[in-house]
Order: sequence, then structure tokens, then C-alpha cells
Amino acid sequence: MHVSLLGVSQNLSSQLEFLHLQILSIVTASQLRRIFERRTNFDLRRLLDGTETFLHSMLDRLEFDLAMATSSLHCLRLDPMVRKRVADTLVPTSKVKDILYVILIARGRVVTLIRPKKHSIHPADIHILMNTVHNPSIFNSPAAASWIPICLPKFNPNGFVNAYISFLQRDNPEEPSSAPSPSSPQSSSSASVTDSDSGTALVCISGGADFDTIRSWCDGVTQKLTNEGTLKLLSDCVRSGQAEYTVSELGIPGLRHFVYKSRAQVQVTFPTFEDPYENLTDRRRIITFYQVLHDAIHAKSGQSETLKLQYIRTEKESVMGWITQPFEMYIALSPRLPKSAVVGAANAVSRWVKKEEGRLFLKDAPVF
Amino acid sequence: MSKQFQFKLVLLGESAVGKSSLVLRFVKDQFDDYRESTIGAAFLTQTVTLEDQMTVKFEIWDTAGQERYKSLAPMYYRNANCAVVVYDITQSASLEKARTWIRELQRQADPSIVIALCGNKTDLSARRQVTEEEAKKYADEEGLMWGETSAKTGEGVSDIFMAIAKKLPLTAPSRAGTSRTAPGARAGVDLNKQSASVGQNDNCNC
Ligand SMILES: Nc1nc2c(ncn2[C@@H]2O[C@H](COP(=O)(O)OP(=O)(O)OP(=O)(O)O)[C@@H](O)[C@H]2O)c(=O)[nH]1
Ligand SMILES: [Mg+2]
Repeated sequence: MHVSLLGVSQNLSSQLEFLHLQILSIVTASQLRRIFERRTNFDLRRLLDGTETFLHSMLDRLEFDLAMATSSLHCLRLDPMVRKRVADTLVPTSKVKDILYVILIARGRVVTLIRPKKHSIHPADIHILMNTVHNPSIFNSPAAASWIPICLPKFNPNGFVNAYISFLQRDNPEEPSSAPSPSSPQSSSSASVTDSDSGTALVCISGGADFDTIRSWCDGVTQKLTNEGTLKLLSDCVRSGQAEYTVSELGIPGLRHFVYKSRAQVQVTFPTFEDPYENLTDRRRIITFYQVLHDAIHAKSGQSETLKLQYIRTEKESVMGWITQPFEMYIALSPRLPKSAVVGAANAVSRWVKKEEGRLFLKDAPVF
Repeated sequence: MSKQFQFKLVLLGESAVGKSSLVLRFVKDQFDDYRESTIGAAFLTQTVTLEDQMTVKFEIWDTAGQERYKSLAPMYYRNANCAVVVYDITQSASLEKARTWIRELQRQADPSIVIALCGNKTDLSARRQVTEEEAKKYADEEGLMWGETSAKTGEGVSDIFMAIAKKLPLTAPSRAGTSRTAPGARAGVDLNKQSASVGQNDNCNC
């Protein structure tokens, strides 16, 4: 397990929290409690047998996943009209009982998320779900769909719901599906966590056990997405690279990377990592900086006062964390820039996000 | 005129006996030496053609054999028209497990359910622990269909599914599809009880 040396305490505790949530998603809190009440020396491994892959992939994610690090949702950048078409197709009719959430995922990001009026969804539950959906047992399965019991710990730590998961598209058909999942993220220098998050999946969370109803409903909407060309629009967008962006698109001098979290929407956006953060060592360093900044502006490292703005400059880069009412931002720039230019760049990022908001974030998703 | 029948089939059996491999062979005619253990259950379909133009579409639930998922099995067999209970011929303990499943099916499933006992991994017969005689005798006593297969070589795989297709009542249109949700089959949560956990301010606002 890789634990960053800087900001260890906070980072470690949030990593452990996610592992704990991942275990809960498999066992539920009440089951765990019962087990430990009866036998305090119970070896949890027996119950978790076969789920090591979930924990391994969760550990891999913890290292690089910026949505998890900022406890927010990461949406696929998409033309709002396409997103709306997807969402309108996925609103369940009143006839399908027990549906809790319908989520379309592409490239490990949320395309849209449909929920009942009275239930919102916690980002941590989405992260657990994301990790589950991309588990090799499900992702590599030749099956048309999987139906799995899962506990979404922030929704209800004591009970299971059922998840119907069907991959509408798997993006890497040339990759052998029989290959054992690599459990070591360090194996390849160019590997990024999102590489394993390919494919487009429809996930339907149901509070009930009637999988036949859910399955035929999902089959129906999948057909509709296909027949009406919506799925093609979506995959064209992903394939053409529009779902990603680089800092160069912002045209801000000296800007190398940033993470922007909309606090109101609990959603995050960031450009792809490219030079100088292409290799894992440099990427780890910048993510560690982001974590340090995150802790500083959230007063999590034990300091008495929260800082609204934190600036660090090393010979490799300048980084800044900034928290305001509507957003939280972490930016990395060339170390040659003066601090005033860094602040200017941060303002420019914020303006750009505002302008792009419609494509970057999920807004006005239908509720039912 | 061809007639199509649709039946629900469930696969049960200890983990690693080869349930998913059998289905993969039956549905895609493929085999993987490395297969991830199933989580929950996986859904697949396959259509076979019998003589006289009749086709049978199997809606297959390949269940997870790991102990943790045991309590979920009724969800799948309650509405099933047929069940394939798989054991590994190189592991006599897996036949014991299969017997347990068969007893449960006989007690809890629809009395008309067609049950087939399937001994898999015949390509490993050098390490055989369960003889054909022993398994066949047990199957006869219990009135089950029985066959041996190798998902790896494909031997016997389509035979067992074809035999099941023929055994199913192809007279009336199958009831499959009009699912009889048995009372107590619901293992879900009561949504209305959840309201308390909602509205936490760190939830997504979208
Ligand atoms: N030699 C040989 N190996 C087989 C055969 N069928 C399956 N296997 C292997 O046995 C292992 C387990 O097979 P699975 O199909 O995953 O078993 P399962 O019953 O679905 O297991 P769970 O999903 O955990 O319930 C895999 O490594 C398969 O490659 C077979 O006929 N011959
Ligand atoms: Mg399996």
C-alpha cells in the first residue's frame, strides 16, 4: 500500500475510511458488528474470500483518484444536449418499483445519475459502485449483465440493495479478457487508474429483489438508447477525445494542472495529466501536494485556523490551494511565475470553469 | 411455423466447479483458463433449436458459488424452470455440496423444476474422485438428469443443455416471463425506512 509521506495522518485516515467502506459494501456494518460481537478474533478474510480484487483496486484508486480525494463526483465532460437525451431515456416509469438510482457510467465517470426526489446519493457510494462495476469479475464477464447484492454504506450501512450492471460497450475489445488483473499499479510507468475504467455501463440500483422487472426495464432503455442513436452520440464523444481536456485548452500561461471542485454541486473537474506529470513519480508528487493543500485549507492537519489560500513553491513547481464559498481549487504552475501570476491563473481557471460548466458538471438531472 | 419457448435456468454448485465456464462454453463456445469467481450472479441467454423447428431460449442465471452468496440462491431458483447443479469430478466434497443444493431445491423450488446433476472437468479424469457409477446411482435415486462435461474441451456441454431442453414441457407456452414472485423472495430494503439517512449535506447535488 502506498501512503504518501507528506500529510500522512489525514491521507491515511481517508484511505482507511475508503477501505472500510469497501468492506462494508460487501459485508454490511450490521453483519460485521454481529460477527465481532460473537467472536472477537474472527478472521474477516473468510467472509471476504474472493473479494481481494475489490480491495486491491480500491487501493489503486486511492492513490490517484482525485474525485475520491476531494469526496466528489466526477462527471464525463459532455454536450449538455447529449446528456439530457441520455437522462430522459433513463427516467424510470412509475411501473418499475423499487428503483433507487439509475446511473450511466462511461470511462469511469458519471454520464448521468437519476434518483428519486427524496434520495440524493453520497459521492463515496458512487466511488464504491465505480470500483465494483469495474471489478474484473464483472467487467471481464462474458455475461450480458450482473445482479449483485451491495451495501452502499452512506445510503444505509446496515442493509443490502441490489445492483443490476450491464456493459453497453466495452472499449478495449483488443485486450484479452482472460488476463488476470494486475494487482500492482506500479508495474507500468504509463499506467493510469482510469485506463482500467473503460467501457460504458448502465447501473440500476434496486431496493427490491425482483431482478426480472429490472432486467426487462434495463433491456428496454438500452434498446432505446441504441435505436435512437444516443449511445452512438455518446461513444463518438468519448472516442473523439472530447470527454477529456488538457490545460492547453484553457490557454493560461504557466498553468500545468488543476483540480476544481464545485462545492455546491459536490462535483470535480480536472484536465488529463500530461507533461510534466505524465510519469507516475511526478504525478504522485503533485497529488501529494494537492493533498497537503487540501488538508491545509480544510484545517485538517491540526492547525487552529483555516487558511483560505495556501501557496507552496518548490524548485519543480508552484502549487496553490484556494477555498471560497462556491469552489475549492488546486493548481500547479511553473515555479518561475510570481505569486501574483499564480493568483491570476487561479482566477482565470475559475472563469473558464464557469463558462464550461454546462459540459463539465451534471446539472438538473431528472428526478422521479 | 416455428415455435419459441423460453425457460429460466439456474446454475448452482460450489465455487470453482466450473459453472461460469460451462455457461461460457454453451453460450460462446469459449473457455478461459483463468476465470474470476462470480460475484452475485451473471445473466446470459442462449437459444437452441430442437427437431421440428422448435427453439428453446434459455435465460440463464449463473450464480456465485462462494458461501457468502448462499442465501441469495432462492431468488434465482424460485422462478426457475430448470436447474443445473454442478460438481467437479476431481473433488468429492463438491458432490456433497451438490447434494445439499439438490435437497434444497427439492424442498423449496417449484415441484415441476427439472434438475440436472452435472459432473464437470472430465478432461482431468486422471484425478477423478467421483466415479460415474456413484453419481449416476444417486441421480437415478433422486430422479435427476445426469451428465458429465468438460467446459475446457466442450465435451458433453451442449448435450446436457439439449437434454434439458427436450425434457422441459414444450406443450403449453412456458410460464417463464410471468414471474411468480414468491412471498419472502424479497431480500431488499424498505425504501421508506431510508428517509432518515437522506439529506446529509455532503451528498451530491445534481
Ligand atoms: N480443466 C478444467 N478446468 C475447468 C473446467 N471448467 C472450469 N475450469 C476451471 O476451473 C476454475 C473455476 O471455474 P469457474 O467457471 O470460474 O467456476 P464457478 O463454478 O463459476 O465458480 P464461482 O463463480 O466462484 O462459483 C477456472 O480456473 C476454470 O478455468 C473444465 O472443464 N476443465
Ligand atoms: Mg462463476
